[in-house]
Amino acid sequence: MSEKVSQSDGDQPYLVIDNVRKQFPRRGEPPLTVIDGLNVAVEHGSLLSILGPSGCGKSTLLNMINGLDDVTSGRIVINNHVVSARSRSAVRIGVVFQEPRLLPWRTVRDNVRLPLDELNVSRDEADERVQRYLDLVGLGEFGDYFPLRLSGGMQQRVALARGLAIEPDLLLADEPFSALDEITARKLRREFTEIWRATGRTVLFVTHNIREAVFLSTRMLVVTARPCTTHMDIAIDVPYPRVPEDDRLFEIEKQVTKDFIQMEEAAAG
Amino acid sequence: MSTVESNRDVPLAGGPGTVPVVPVASETDLVPTPRRSWRGVWLRALSLVSLVAVWFIASLFFDESVLPGPIRVFGTLVSNLGDSETYFHLWTTVYRVVAGMLIAVVLGLVIGLVMGLSKFGEEFLDSWVLVAFTVPSVVYGILAILWFGLNDAAAIVAIGVTAVPAVAINMWQGVKAIDLSLVRMGQAFHFSRSAILRKLVVPQVIPYLLAALRYALGLSWKIATVVELIGLSSGVGYQLSYWFGLFNMTQVLAWTILFTIVLLLIEFVILKPTEYWLTRWRPSMQN
Repeated sequence: MSEKVSQSDGDQPYLVIDNVRKQFPRRGEPPLTVIDGLNVAVEHGSLLSILGPSGCGKSTLLNMINGLDDVTSGRIVINNHVVSARSRSAVRIGVVFQEPRLLPWRTVRDNVRLPLDELNVSRDEADERVQRYLDLVGLGEFGDYFPLRLSGGMQQRVALARGLAIEPDLLLADEPFSALDEITARKLRREFTEIWRATGRTVLFVTHNIREAVFLSTRMLVVTARPCTTHMDIAIDVPYPRVPEDDRLFEIEKQVTKDFIQMEEAAAG
Repeated sequence: MSTVESNRDVPLAGGPGTVPVVPVASETDLVPTPRRSWRGVWLRALSLVSLVAVWFIASLFFDESVLPGPIRVFGTLVSNLGDSETYFHLWTTVYRVVAGMLIAVVLGLVIGLVMGLSKFGEEFLDSWVLVAFTVPSVVYGILAILWFGLNDAAAIVAIGVTAVPAVAINMWQGVKAIDLSLVRMGQAFHFSRSAILRKLVVPQVIPYLLAALRYALGLSWKIATVVELIGLSSGVGYQLSYWFGLFNMTQVLAWTILFTIVLLLIEFVILKPTEYWLTRWRPSMQN
């Protein structure tokens, strides 16, 4: 099945992106390089955010991590499994998108259940898990509702429960709060860190929002525009629960913003 | 620099009785939806009663051979119901409509799916479907009788051919309206291809199929009675033409009303509840 990496647990990194490159072949032209040497390694239970300008090959990276596409060179390791399009069943990945992407004709409970049915989780186990994760996101009472009756923020919480209910090795969050209004997004960010801490899962969070990345993550990877390379790799050592008004967070945000703008200008000039 | 905080010391979510770590949502966070009320039922009843009242008043000014009153017509209707012939004719028409609809749904579904799923299919078929949709259904009736003779087959074929384009057009639009972001969600969660089709694609097309069915049904009744009227010796259309030939306006109206009642029964006993159940997730747009 999948290639096992020899090192066992302990404090070995849990998610490793090791010199990943991705090229797309083009007819009659040199191949298009989308990602050119991306590196990062985080421990189990980290919240790693990836911050980059739009068009930075983010969806390509997410596809490769999710086993929907292969790297051209380098490797991605999750929980000691090398990820590839062939070995994708070895690693379980939950996804939360920018929009909730719930099935409007299924109840909240059946939406969270949907991926569990695909994984052949037993009926009792699935019932119990669905309820547990709905409780966790504060929607325990709303299992029988249809998604369109819920507010945007609640729908996004259902999507989060769906991503967590499969008990993934890694949760991919693809700008999950960027389509919400700022007040709701702010509330959900705080809840998100609480839920993440309660589950102990490793999360990869993609965003364009510097403040969001700083507020949420234990580690932050700033990447350049195409071809995507590592620009900065910052650990954010501020204990949780955090408050958005924390001066330390604000300092980091200021620093990253300054650097980000310089990077953009360098790319443009 | 890199001392990433480990969260392993935090108790993991698990075990029975998970305590929410976030504020629990309440009813007030819901999007409000209008309540279903009995007002609609009353309004419909009122509208029906006022129509009968207008009819009654109008009938006072006309001769019975032109516009018989509601009491007389309903009396005839009830006495018709005592006659087994009535049920035979009703059933004959219903049978032809259902058989024709079956043809229409199968053919329309296939054509609509081909048009929705393939560019080639769309370009090859779309003008024909639109032409077939525009041709008056009486033409199909006449052609079917010419080719198949004065029998059930003619009626069924005419009904089927009339309704095919309506079903095809609806399915074509339905397939084009599929929300691909849900399909991508399924791919991201590594659903099998068959699960994506069964659980994410087909349910999105069902409301369109339902709309197609209702529309096709409305068309089918009309063409069924027309074909029966032109050349068949059974069915509701035949009865209408028979009584029209005798200038018996009371029977013409009695048959029209009986037929309408059957249609309404099918609408409210079969179609409406099915539609309501299948689309119960959709908040109403009206208020």
